[in-house]
Amino acid sequence: MTKRLLMLAVVLAMVAAACGGEVAEETTTTTAADGGGQVATGGLLAEVQARGVLNCGVNNAVPGFGFVDSAGEFSGFDIDFCKAIAAAVFGDAGKVEYKPLTAQQRFTALQSGEIDVLIRNTTWTATRDGSEGATFLTTTFYDGQGMMVRSDSGFTEIEDMANTTICVLSGTTTELNLSDRFDASGTPFEPLSFDDNDLLRESFISGQCDGWTSDKSQLAGVRSTFPDSEGGPEALTILEETFSKEPLGPLVRDGDTQWADVVNWVVLATIQAEEFGITQGNVGNYSGDDTTIQKFLGQEILDSDGNPTTFDPGLGLATDFVVDVISAVGNYGEIYDRNVGPDTPLGLERGDNAQWRNGGLLYAPPYR
Amino acid sequence: MTAHPSTVETTRPPFWRDLRVLRAFAQVAAVAGAIFLFRWILGNVTTNLESVGIRTDFGFLNGPAGFQVANSDFEPAQPVSDVILVGVRNTFALAILGIPLLTIFGVLVGVARLSPNWLVSKAATTYVETLRNIPPLLVILFTNALILLLPRIQEAATPFGWFVISNRSISVPWIANGSGAGTYWMVLAGTLLGAVGIWVWRTRRSDASGEPHHRVLWSGLFFIGVAVVAYLLLDDPIALSRPELEGLVVTGGFLTLANYVTVLIALSLYTASHVAEIVRGSIQAVAKGQVEAANALALGSFQRLRFVILPQAFRIALPPIINQYLNFVKNTSLALAIGYAEVTTIVFQVIGNGNPAPQSIVLLMAVYLTFSLVISLIVNYVNRRIQYVVN
Repeated sequence: MTKRLLMLAVVLAMVAAACGGEVAEETTTTTAADGGGQVATGGLLAEVQARGVLNCGVNNAVPGFGFVDSAGEFSGFDIDFCKAIAAAVFGDAGKVEYKPLTAQQRFTALQSGEIDVLIRNTTWTATRDGSEGATFLTTTFYDGQGMMVRSDSGFTEIEDMANTTICVLSGTTTELNLSDRFDASGTPFEPLSFDDNDLLRESFISGQCDGWTSDKSQLAGVRSTFPDSEGGPEALTILEETFSKEPLGPLVRDGDTQWADVVNWVVLATIQAEEFGITQGNVGNYSGDDTTIQKFLGQEILDSDGNPTTFDPGLGLATDFVVDVISAVGNYGEIYDRNVGPDTPLGLERGDNAQWRNGGLLYAPPYR
Repeated sequence: MTAHPSTVETTRPPFWRDLRVLRAFAQVAAVAGAIFLFRWILGNVTTNLESVGIRTDFGFLNGPAGFQVANSDFEPAQPVSDVILVGVRNTFALAILGIPLLTIFGVLVGVARLSPNWLVSKAATTYVETLRNIPPLLVILFTNALILLLPRIQEAATPFGWFVISNRSISVPWIANGSGAGTYWMVLAGTLLGAVGIWVWRTRRSDASGEPHHRVLWSGLFFIGVAVVAYLLLDDPIALSRPELEGLVVTGGFLTLANYVTVLIALSLYTASHVAEIVRGSIQAVAKGQVEAANALALGSFQRLRFVILPQAFRIALPPIINQYLNFVKNTSLALAIGYAEVTTIVFQVIGNGNPAPQSIVLLMAVYLTFSLVISLIVNYVNRRIQYVVN
């Protein structure tokens, strides 16, 4: 009996070794080929067009940026850029499937191909660009981290907050900046990390934590919807100090440059449109003779031989995709004002997010 | 009829119809298939991750974690491997208190379900049927909502001056070491060994002579006696430290985070409802004749339970209870929802901060596997010790 078992074991080991060796080589070659096909230029744009719907990774708990309203509709600054991409790709801003993701899930969702683009107030950092398999594109919102406290707490700066408990979303740059900022001034604190904004909010309301740190735009969003039973927005104060740079923008998977170009130029088109003064209202009936704008809008122009032609930068999109984008969501300024601008509950001034001519950081390369 | 050995040899079927050969072949094929599949998946994952520039080694464990953990000395500059260990420690803190808690509570409720007292048995039934049918995450969220109702730290409750209770942390009195504490703890350890020796001696003597063993009395008196004498001789080696609130900080005593208490209570109560059902079933599985025999010996109802029914029910209950212990440990990962820094929370934080997910998740699985195997080992050992020995 024992002998037979021994024999069996030996045979098994041999088979396993043989299979193992063979398999390893085989898989490496086949998957390399597969992988190559997947990330080849042009792959995702064609795939999205064939699918007929854009999978957009978003936030669903930050008012003004990515939020589900009481009717179950997604709305916000980031959501509008999802719509803009869909408008550019399909000519229809409604063809978006929103995938709400937590901060911790977002990169995995992008890596695994569950989403085509991630627009979820994600900060561009070197580590994320380098080791998350993601490519960061044009920044849509220049943000910075801040601290929100109760107005009656008496805290006016970080140094006042010794031994406090600070609520923070886990898996965010915010979490890392928090440690850096408090350590820099030698202020002791206890972190309380949540992976979900709603539970964090509950904890903050109950007084379990003294401060809530996040990007200032997010804090403004949260503050604007603070329940009246707790004193409303006035009960909260966002401290003056901004203690980090948080450039937020869309991300795509590494390796597909055509898709990256598409997403990038949709964002840039909204910025360029504002610079040109093209709005949701006038984009359909531009009748000027500025060829730069005519090219931008994909209108017919005359080439050097006097023949009518339309300008195609070769992005793989329709020549008049800008018209689709702007008539769906408007230019950058309109998107900003509608979601987070001074007339919204968030009330954020343009600041760094103004056009370069107005002292901001928005600067679209020439569309030619 | 006598069989001819030679005929037996020749009538063996050819190997492709020999059942024994086929069976062996099927097993070899199955193992080879499993190995093939595993290698294929591994190769696929590795290649695809590398093609998008995600590292596939474990080197990230040496990099700095960058974040801080509540109620620990962990520094952000320490490596990722250390912060995962902090998470393991926090998971262990839940298991070490939770398992005894849920056992005691589960047994009490299980016995109560069979109580002839209508109110007691109905109360126990309601408890079991409610908690057993709610997902554990909901139990945790509900408990969390209750704990959040506790006063803020600024107006923390201090019952009798012995506790500091807020929705941030709960502090209890604890032992503070003074001078000579080391010696005292060593003396206590030695005394404990002595007490166990006395226990064994009394038991053997009672078994041999039949006189009452009084082992609790003997070893207990010995332990307390030595402890008191040593305490007096060493001149207050240890003292009780009361927690006190100074600003936002609690000094002295022993501090537990409110979200630790939440998870501990919620999961202990939840798992206890399952244990209670196992205990009830096991008690009912003890042969009816045993109860009748106990009655015939004129044992009281407590004696009947303590000496006849529970020892036999315990043998039946232990294997399924192991499963509940394992469930408890696995469910602690739900603490993620309310931000208690046990190992799942920590590993997800690590992933979120730019470290590769596949390797981190493999580590996480290894941690839970280790926890489960260790618990199984311990309880299986106990199980073997208490099973009937059949000669």
